Amino acid sequence: MRFLGKAAGGLYLLLLYLFVAGPLLFVIATSFNPATSFPAPFEGLTLSWYAAILRRPEFLSAAGTSAVVAALAAALAVVVAFLAAYALSRNGSSSARGAMATLLASPLLVPQVVISLAILQLASAWGVGTGFWGLVAAHAVYVMPFALRLLLTGLARFDFAVEEASRSLGGGWLSTWREVTLPLLRPSIVAGFTFCFILSFVNLPLSLFLTSPDTATLPIVMFAYIESRIDPMIAAVASVIVLAAGTATILLDRFLHVRLVD
Amino acid sequence: MPELILSHVTRRFSGHTAVDDFSLTVRDGEFVCLLGPSGCGKTTTLRIIAGFERADAGRLTLDGADITHAPPQQRDIGLVFQSYALFPHKTVAENIGFGLKMRGRPRAAIAAAVEEALALVRLEGLGGRYPRALSGGQQQRVALARALAIRPRLLLMDEPLSNLDAQLREEMRNEIRRIQKSLGITAVLVTHDQAEALAMADRIAVMAKGRLQQMADPATIYEAPATAFVSGFIGQANVLEGRVESTGAEAVLALPGGVTLAGRGDGLAAGAATRAMVKHERMALCRAEPAQLANRFPCQVAERTYLGGSIAYRCEAAGMTLTALLPNHPLFESFAPGDTAWIGWAATDCAFFPC
Repeated sequence: MRFLGKAAGGLYLLLLYLFVAGPLLFVIATSFNPATSFPAPFEGLTLSWYAAILRRPEFLSAAGTSAVVAALAAALAVVVAFLAAYALSRNGSSSARGAMATLLASPLLVPQVVISLAILQLASAWGVGTGFWGLVAAHAVYVMPFALRLLLTGLARFDFAVEEASRSLGGGWLSTWREVTLPLLRPSIVAGFTFCFILSFVNLPLSLFLTSPDTATLPIVMFAYIESRIDPMIAAVASVIVLAAGTATILLDRFLHVRLVD
Repeated sequence: MPELILSHVTRRFSGHTAVDDFSLTVRDGEFVCLLGPSGCGKTTTLRIIAGFERADAGRLTLDGADITHAPPQQRDIGLVFQSYALFPHKTVAENIGFGLKMRGRPRAAIAAAVEEALALVRLEGLGGRYPRALSGGQQQRVALARALAIRPRLLLMDEPLSNLDAQLREEMRNEIRRIQKSLGITAVLVTHDQAEALAMADRIAVMAKGRLQQMADPATIYEAPATAFVSGFIGQANVLEGRVESTGAEAVLALPGGVTLAGRGDGLAAGAATRAMVKHERMALCRAEPAQLANRFPCQVAERTYLGGSIAYRCEAAGMTLTALLPNHPLFESFAPGDTAWIGWAATDCAFFPC
C-alpha cells in the first residue's frame, strides 16, 4: 500500500515536470533537427541552425537591444520597487500595506498590449516620440510588481531594529543604508533584478507598438521572422535564450545560497 | 558630568498620551531602571532618550547639552536592543567596531578597541564568528560590547534580558552590573520585570500610564510605595477597601463588615474611601494569637499552594480573604486547608492609599 502511494506520488511529479518542461524539451530537440520545416519528424542531428543565427545580424543586434532594454528596465523597476516596498514595510498598518501593494501591482492586471498602446498614445498626445526610453518605461512599468513582491517578502524578514542600531552607533542615513540595509536585502534585490531582466528580455506584447527598426527587440525580430516562415532556426534562438536564463537562475540560486547560509 | 535630565517630556500618539509630563534625573554613574507594565510608556521614553521618537513637549539634556532635537547618530548613546539587533552579515568584531568605523577611526585603533570590548564581556577569541553562530547569552554580550565600544555618555538597555532563560538571566544581571560599575557609566534599563529592577538598579523609576509613579532606591520602592499602583505592582499585596475612621501617625480604616484596621498613610481624610495594602510575605499565620500585631484575626485556611521556596495560604478571616506567604522552613508552622489559625500584620506594614 505504502509503496503504491509512493509510486503514485512519483508518477504525479514526473507528469507535472513533463507538463512544465515538455514544450521546452521539444523546442530544444527541434533546434537540432535538420528538417527545414517545423514541426517535422526527426531526420538527424545538426548544429546548422545555430550557425544560421550568426548569419542573421538582425538577431544579434536585436539581442543586444533586448539586453540593454531589459537591464535598464530591471534597474528602474528595482529602484522604484525598493523605495515603495521599504516605505510600505516600515510604516503603516498591515491593511494599508496590503491595499497599497495591490495598487502597485495593478500593471499586472492590464493586458500588456494595452500598456504598450497607452504609452504610444500618451507620447503622441504630448507630442514627443516614444523612442528607446518609451520602450524602457513600458518594460519597467510591467516588471516592477514582480520586483515589489520579492522585495516585500525580503523586507518582511528584515528587522528594522538593525537600522536603529546603526544610527545609535553614529551611522547617518546614507551609511546605514550602505552598511546595513542594502547588504541585508541584497538577495531580494539581486533576485528582483534578475527576474525583471528575464521577464523584460523575453517580452513581446509590450514592445509591439513601441519599437522601430532601430530599437527592435529580440522577441519582435523573432515574431517578424516566423510571420514569413517557420524553420528550426527560431527554435535554436529560443534554446539559446532558455540556456542563458537557466544559467542565470542557477548562478543566482548558488549565489543566494552562498549569501544566505554561511 | 554625564547626567541625563528629562523635564516635562510628553509624547502623544493618535488617541493616547504614551508619555505624560515625565521628568527624571539620572545622576552621573547611576544605574536607573524604568519599571512598569507593558504599555506604560517606558519603551517610548527610552526611544525618546535615544532619539528614535520625538518629544511633543519637554526637554532632554545630557551632560549639560540640550539633545531634545539631536538626531540619534549625534547623541553618543549606546543602545542595547531587546532583539539585540546585531548585524547578521558582519562578524562579531565588525559588529563591535561598527560605531568606531562610523566615527572614522583608523583600523588599528578599532581593532584594539574591539579586543578590549571583547575582553570586557568575556568573549575573547570569538571576534571572527558571525552572530548566528553564537548562543543567546553570547549575542547579548556582543550587543553590550557593541554599545560600549563607542564609549557612550549613556548606556540604554531595552528589556535586554527578556530573551534569555532564567538561569542565564540572573548571570547576565550580575554581569551587566559588574561592567556598568567597572566603567562607571551612566545607565538606564527598561524592564517590566520587578525582580530585575530590584536586583540591578541604584534607583527605580516606576511608570504607569505614561506617568512617573515613584522614583527611589529599590528598598524604598518595595517597603514604602508612594502610590497604590506601586504597592500593587511591586510584589504581591492583599487589598482591602474601606473608609478612614481616624487619621494620625496610626490611622484607622473601617471595613464594610465592621472590622477596623490600623495602618499608615499620607493625605488621608476622615470618611474618605481608602485602600489598605499589605504584602503577602508581611502577613503572619500562626496557631497562637500574635498579640504584638495590631491587626490580628482568627481565620480558617482555605487553600494551600506549595511554591517550593515558600508556601502561600489563602485564608478567610472576618469576611476578608487574605493571602499569607510563609517561608518553607521548619521554624514556620505548616497548615492544611480547613485548619483554624490566627492571621495578623503590623500597622507599619499596612499602607493606606486614598482611592
